[in-house]
Amino acid sequence: MLRSSAVRLHLLFKNVGIFKKSIPSTTFGKIKLMSTHNTETDTQFDQRYENFLSSTKIDGWDVRRTDLFGHDLVPEPKIIIAALKACRRVNDLALAIRILEALKDKCGNEVNEIYPWYIQEIKPTLTDLGIPTLEELGYDKPEFALQNVDDMQ
Amino acid sequence: MANTLLALSARQLLRNVAAKQTVQSASMSANVAGSFARRLIGKREIVGFGFNGEPSYVDRSDFPFPAIRWKEPNADILALREKEKGDWSKLSVEEKKALYRASFRQTFAEFQAPTGEWKYIIGTGLLILSLGFWSYFGLKAFVYSPLPDSFKKENREAQLARMLDLQVNPIEGISSKWDYEKNEWKK
Repeated sequence: MLRSSAVRLHLLFKNVGIFKKSIPSTTFGKIKLMSTHNTETDTQFDQRYENFLSSTKIDGWDVRRTDLFGHDLVPEPKIIIAALKACRRVNDLALAIRILEALKDKCGNEVNEIYPWYIQEIKPTLTDLGIPTLEELGYDKPEFALQNVDDMQ
Repeated sequence: MANTLLALSARQLLRNVAAKQTVQSASMSANVAGSFARRLIGKREIVGFGFNGEPSYVDRSDFPFPAIRWKEPNADILALREKEKGDWSKLSVEEKKALYRASFRQTFAEFQAPTGEWKYIIGTGLLILSLGFWSYFGLKAFVYSPLPDSFKKENREAQLARMLDLQVNPIEGISSKWDYEKNEWKK
């Protein structure tokens, strides 16, 4: 009896085929489901991001998708230059300005030392593409204040 | 019988899983007109993953790029976008700002600006603390009877003398420090 149950179950799974679809194929085969030590060097890291952002195939979604600002580092100027150029290719000036803001935010406590150096490094690209710095826009200081939602009637 | 039941329940289970997946994949394709997400965000363009894949707008420094643009496209913004396709250095500062504000609600400087809320919090905290002091002194003044006589200085001295007379705790305690021959504290 148990055997026939097993056979029926097997048939069911086989026919529905749902588990084949639901589990990505990458989890099968020789790939181990465990973490490995990251052996990527800093140079490779920079190169990976630069290559990705320099690709002409990416769109605005991909530029936004990069977890560049999620790492515990300030990205190299060449990565930022590639990102700004990617913004130019997808015609999104707001995104380029946002990248500069995120970059400034990543400078953290050392913002007064790192950020001016940064602007100096990427200045040629900024002038080339016509991207304003945050100071030119006045976005280094708050421009508008919003009413607190708790104070609204 | 058992076999049939097993088969039926397993089939039902699998069908549920399949239905759930269909729902999930449908909610992910929020670009479909008339979908639930589309009703929430209106005509606002979905431009990225955001912070959790939901088409929502939040200004966050850890995820600088929200999933949707802040403003719905109107005639002005669409005209600006056309102009944006050209040379950016030909855009005026106002136009650049307008483009930025069409995509994003607040700048980093704005949403990270100090709110001054800490003053309110510390002030309220101190106020509540002072209420505690006031109630203590109030009770002291109007409620409690005065301390008993045993708290007076001469009474406590008398109690100490009595303890020494009784040789309380003579090995390591108070009487061990009293010199009974000279009638004074040991040096």
